Amino acid sequence: MKEPRELNLPDRVRYTGDHEWATMAGATVKIGVSDYAQDQLGDIVYVEMPEVGESFDRGATFGTLESVKAVSELYMPLGGEVVAVNKALVDEPELINRDPYDNWIIEIRPSNPAEYDELMTSESYLAMLKE
Amino acid sequence: MGNTEKRTALHDWHVAHGANMATFAGYHMPLWYPAGARAEHLAPIRTVGIFDTSHMPMLTVKGPGARKLLQYCFCRDLERCIGKQKGPLVDGRCAYGFFLNEKGHVIDDAIVYQLSPTDYMIVANAGMGATLAAHLGRHPADAGADIRDLTDRAGKIDIQGPEAARLLQRLIRDPERFFDRLIYFSFKGGFGECPSSSVVELLDGTPLLIARTGYTGEFGFELFMSLDAFPALWRKVLDEGKDLGALPCGLAARDSLRVGAVLPLSHQDIGDWPFAANPWLFALPWEEDRCGFSKDFVGAAELKNLETVEHTLPFAGHDPRKIVIGPDTHVTDPQGERIGRVLTCATDMAIGRVDGRIVSLATPAEKGRPEDFNPKGLCCGFVKVNRPLAPGEEVILTDGKRQVKVEIREDIRPDRTARRPIAEMVQL
Repeated sequence: MKEPRELNLPDRVRYTGDHEWATMAGATVKIGVSDYAQDQLGDIVYVEMPEVGESFDRGATFGTLESVKAVSELYMPLGGEVVAVNKALVDEPELINRDPYDNWIIEIRPSNPAEYDELMTSESYLAMLKE
Repeated sequence: MGNTEKRTALHDWHVAHGANMATFAGYHMPLWYPAGARAEHLAPIRTVGIFDTSHMPMLTVKGPGARKLLQYCFCRDLERCIGKQKGPLVDGRCAYGFFLNEKGHVIDDAIVYQLSPTDYMIVANAGMGATLAAHLGRHPADAGADIRDLTDRAGKIDIQGPEAARLLQRLIRDPERFFDRLIYFSFKGGFGECPSSSVVELLDGTPLLIARTGYTGEFGFELFMSLDAFPALWRKVLDEGKDLGALPCGLAARDSLRVGAVLPLSHQDIGDWPFAANPWLFALPWEEDRCGFSKDFVGAAELKNLETVEHTLPFAGHDPRKIVIGPDTHVTDPQGERIGRVLTCATDMAIGRVDGRIVSLATPAEKGRPEDFNPKGLCCGFVKVNRPLAPGEEVILTDGKRQVKVEIREDIRPDRTARRPIAEMVQL
């Protein structure tokens, strides 16, 4: 498994303590999981995603990632309504292992955009991982 | 990582080759390597996988009282355990079974090998060496048996998959003689503290014991050798196997392959409950009329008089979704009534459903594997429930939030290669 300093933690996204990332894309926010999450899980074999139109509060479970040995819940970094899900992940869940930032999982319209500012920068996230 | 964790002789190799390590039964072991758990699950199905199994304890039981002691402590009837004719265990044969305690509960599953009529080897599960040695020591046979625990004192490598024989023939002297009549659950050769009357050697003359057995339910071999020959042989096996697609495989793949083969995980699918109503009752020495056992053994009295039992049953789902086994996890019937618990839930990556039927990557086209078959895997495992259920019946696994509907099965991964005739698997 990767050491913290080997992880890819780009500045252009923000992070949660549960290892999701979020990035502003105009009026919407794209959400995925960090390099740390995919490295820990190993091969992802199934992604359970919500329906377009569903709404979740910050911290609520919106889906799951299945690896060969485990099931990992996905938590909303900020609250909002799902406007798109990444359909490519249905047939190729391993895309998340290949590039966890290019391969977002859901896109939402945030109900409270200020929640985005409360997410961790890549520096803070890395500091948390090193603890 | 603490200093109390044990390491196999290959620990540094695993780490140097990028293994994702974890602690298992007190050993620091590879969960998977950079190829990933999925590729490592598929290697023994499609080509060949190589496993460091040197953490599995070996015991020897020797002396004029050895067979009688094993006959009393091991649930297989050693006089009636070989083949359809139920012949006795003889030199060069081995038998899979269980060590039970006085209550008829499982201590461990194991394979017993007969090196000679007075020399036997037992291979059990990680961390169980001392417990088994103590259990055997409590039941002294009349004429004496010497029990030795060889845990961590020998090397062991599992080579599993359809290319296993082709790989092995590159490594040993006189492969033709070795493969001749090498039937399932037999072995040849010996080493160190486990000599036998037959000889198997590496090209450089190093003696080995090679058994046609394996952890995964697929065709292959377990190689036993002295500790000093072990690391070099591991590297040589992987080197020689490169063009055959050989991959080092970790514990994740080992476990998921085993579950798909309907084999129990020690201390998870078998354990401190009566050994009854499960898929492995072939190991009990019931008489034809099922009114009694053909021999006396530890736990026999309890097993004969059981009134209510729980049923351990294999299951397979309809997609890869699993359930996490936690304190709230349980099994319900389709109406929602709670009927039991989940023992194991893993993903067999080599299988998928085609029109409801389970098909494997190993299934021949004429038996229903589509040309473009690229399975996503199916969740599978074992449940322990309070009623008998027939194959085909559905139950629901739930952790209180998520629900996964699964089918009770007699078998899970089809078209396994473990019992294929040796002549089909070797090209000399």
